[in-house]
Amino acid sequence: MESERPSEADRFGRRADLKYSFYLLRRNPIVLAGCVISVFSVLLALLSPLLVNPSSWHAQDLNLRLCWNNPMYNWHIANVFDCAGSVYPLGTDMYGRSLSNMIILAIPIDLEIALEVVVSAVVIGVIFGSIAAYVGGVIDEIILRITDDFLAVPGILLAIVMIVVMGRSLPVLTFAVLITWWPFYVRLMRSQVLSEKEKPYVERLRAMGAGATRILFKHVVPNSIYPVLVQATLDIGAVILTVSALTFIGLTPSSLLPELGNLSNQGIQYIFTAPWLILFPGLTILVISLGFNLLGDGIRDIFDPRLRR
Amino acid sequence: MVFVLFALSILIFYLTRGLLPASTALAPYINPRIGDAGKLSLARALGVATATCPSYQAFASEASGCIVPLWGQYYGWLMNVLTGNWGFTLLPGIAGTATTWSVFFSRFPYTAELAIAAAILTIAIGIPLGIVSATHNNKLPDHASRIISLGGYSVPQFWFGALLQILFVLYVRVNGAGLLPATGALTTTCAICIANPGQITTYSGLPMLDAILSLNFAYFWDSLVALALPSITLAITSIGALTRIVRSSMMDVLRQDYILLARSKGLKDSVVIYRHALRNAVLPAVTVSGLLVAYLLGGAVIVEIVFSWPGVGNASLAAADVLDINFLELYVLVTALIIVVTNLVVDVLYSIIDPRIRY
Repeated sequence: MESERPSEADRFGRRADLKYSFYLLRRNPIVLAGCVISVFSVLLALLSPLLVNPSSWHAQDLNLRLCWNNPMYNWHIANVFDCAGSVYPLGTDMYGRSLSNMIILAIPIDLEIALEVVVSAVVIGVIFGSIAAYVGGVIDEIILRITDDFLAVPGILLAIVMIVVMGRSLPVLTFAVLITWWPFYVRLMRSQVLSEKEKPYVERLRAMGAGATRILFKHVVPNSIYPVLVQATLDIGAVILTVSALTFIGLTPSSLLPELGNLSNQGIQYIFTAPWLILFPGLTILVISLGFNLLGDGIRDIFDPRLRR
Repeated sequence: MVFVLFALSILIFYLTRGLLPASTALAPYINPRIGDAGKLSLARALGVATATCPSYQAFASEASGCIVPLWGQYYGWLMNVLTGNWGFTLLPGIAGTATTWSVFFSRFPYTAELAIAAAILTIAIGIPLGIVSATHNNKLPDHASRIISLGGYSVPQFWFGALLQILFVLYVRVNGAGLLPATGALTTTCAICIANPGQITTYSGLPMLDAILSLNFAYFWDSLVALALPSITLAITSIGALTRIVRSSMMDVLRQDYILLARSKGLKDSVVIYRHALRNAVLPAVTVSGLLVAYLLGGAVIVEIVFSWPGVGNASLAAADVLDINFLELYVLVTALIIVVTNLVVDVLYSIIDPRIRY
């Protein structure tokens, strides 16, 4: 290996750049932790149908509701029911289902919604933000005024109204969160493209006769998309927080649905008799969103070549 | 500013009226005892039913030619709303007895109190934490405040609130009772307030302000104690955001030449930081205060549910259950008005605290 001369691409090209990025990534323990947590949660989400029977959330057993038999912790609460026989590491919920199984089933639901919202918001933001900045004029003004309206309302309020009007289902929930999320990406992309399009290379491309679409989507957008992608990573955690907050306040298709906010909603009703029911789903949300936030922070510092040097 | 509110009212109107049956628009104005003829004339008066509509049944089943097109309905709605006619509330328990307007503004002070307390906490904790973090870069205080700000970003507010409740009700106990009240805007142990409810005069609706104005300090202390856990819960996310902003802008400012000059003149560190650097470092924080207000007013919905706080957020969920659309519309528009006004004030304030952009 040593004797082989590294090729040109290995020393200077994108591959070397990527290699250096991963080297920096390995050296930073905080980012590494974020990376491990997010990869682990995605893996858990992918494997969850294998770990737990996906339809087991329909099965209720009211004899086993709100019981705790894990000997590793004693809650010091009077009258905690003991689950007879079977072992539930995190206790059971108000329908007598194993809480640990419900959390494993809930992670893919939350992650899927978060991914759908963030990816759609990035696509909308990149398209409309870059068009607004590059074309300018009336189109810019119209797009800006529309985002202004959405930014003037707390997202959660608008989402509540939308879910109330359009019905309580997961697609509506996703759509409602997306509606409140995309304006940030339009603004971010717009500000990036605004500064990028003034650079000399754009002028040169124009002089060479490249069309506006080609300049914008082949050259300007790839050069200004880094901050948007960093924001997207950070926002996966934020979207999970928003979605679980909405289901927590009861805007959920079914109270049986294993979703982290929904499980917490059960938990708050039994907060002083069965604290585990709110502690563990909430802790799961905290860990997942912390993981993506750490990762996003790290990516911001590491993968943006301009910030790095 | 007015344009934003106007566009927003169109958006929220089309969203609610466009997707719900036309007869829901009548509900807040209806008296259940009036007959179908009365209902039909009411629908006409509200600008929802056309003059040619033959009967209420035809209107309710949305027969063609019976429903005024949405833009026409919007005009009728806007005229009603601008004169303050929001109809009667549909909230369970008080449905039909009070107007939506009066219910909203009897509850709004509680939300305002919660948001103001959280804003004070955010500023009082976020700015010092950001400064300490920037001046002790990569040392222990920096790591601690970064963990706090990152945790604040990542923690679900309802979970944090529940955690505080569990902690202070189940585990931190004084004289056999929880140290701090978990729910409501007043502790149930407030003997003075219960025995003499007349001792509080409602000046502003804000419990704490009224208590001071009425010189009832027991009541004041009581509402302060009740406010403790909800306001900390509400502030936790914005503390994280503010700390982060102040930290990065403070680090930028501390690298500037004029800071080096101030240091080389032999000024004390505290003077350099608080007199010279801080004023410039809080500028980016001031620009996002509109966003901060939006954060607090939005988060209040969640916190009010967790702590059974008697504010508008709590009521809005009850309104959502009974499809009290007028209440939700009022909520969205009042909140938007507050945020828009905040942004305006910030714009004006900005030229005062940053003389460089004065024209």
